[in-house]
Amino acid sequence: MDEKQIIEKAKAGDEAAMAQLVNKYSERIYNLALRILRKKEDAEDVLQETFLTVVEKLHTFDGRSSFFTWVYRIATNASLMRLRKKKVVFQEMADSTDFQESVESRVFIDWSQDPSINIYDEEVKQKIDAAVNKLSDIYRSVFVLRDLEGLSIKETSAILNITQENVKIRLRRARQFLRDYLSEYFEERIVH
Amino acid sequence: MTAKHPTEDRIKQICEIMGEDLDNPACREVMEHINSCPTCKVYYDTMKKTIFLCRENDCPEELPQDVNERLMKKLKLNRISLNKDNDQQIP
Repeated sequence: MDEKQIIEKAKAGDEAAMAQLVNKYSERIYNLALRILRKKEDAEDVLQETFLTVVEKLHTFDGRSSFFTWVYRIATNASLMRLRKKKVVFQEMADSTDFQESVESRVFIDWSQDPSINIYDEEVKQKIDAAVNKLSDIYRSVFVLRDLEGLSIKETSAILNITQENVKIRLRRARQFLRDYLSEYFEERIVH
Repeated sequence: MTAKHPTEDRIKQICEIMGEDLDNPACREVMEHINSCPTCKVYYDTMKKTIFLCRENDCPEELPQDVNERLMKKLKLNRISLNKDNDQQIP
């Protein structure tokens, strides 16, 4: 039985079919929420919220997008709502025209080849976590979907319901922010 | 190795080719520049390493059994038993 048939059965009230759909996507949704929210309790809440919505709204799923895109959109929205409720303050990179796209023109150091910079170093791990935590919701969602989940620009755009051009702009800003944030620390580390 | 900072346009181009097919003509052109410009090469390498580190630091987890049990209970699907054959039928 292919996924379409299972969806039709689940729509008709077949609980085993619904359980199959949940079982197929639950781990990915849990990890998606964990990547965006970075807290296990919150990820579990989003997981439950997502599938409660799936059960409730499955009859409205018309197959125009893939089921994967539909479920991911529900989960991403639920994660972002939760992130916004937490009022995560993100001063370094607001979504406004005054975003610091231009970086100061200075001499900088190539830290990319330094073998001491790796994720087995607890301090490096903490810095990476801190950097990602500083991404505001709109940048974090694009970064997570494209760079961590490995989805395409097209898929990311469909899930977030924004244009592909917008995905590219947000992704560029997120990457630039992360590089600059980590560079400041790694350059310092190399020099001293 | 130290370098001056690349121009804003180059930074945009470097950020945009990350994760894309480097064989496509637009990416190839940017890569050609990067390979001939030490400043942009440093920016490209540190950007690439940034994304690499973020990915390495990202460890997807198996869904904990208790989390799964609570989910199925919440959905009132906890009495449904799935066998592996059923799961494998979904492509």
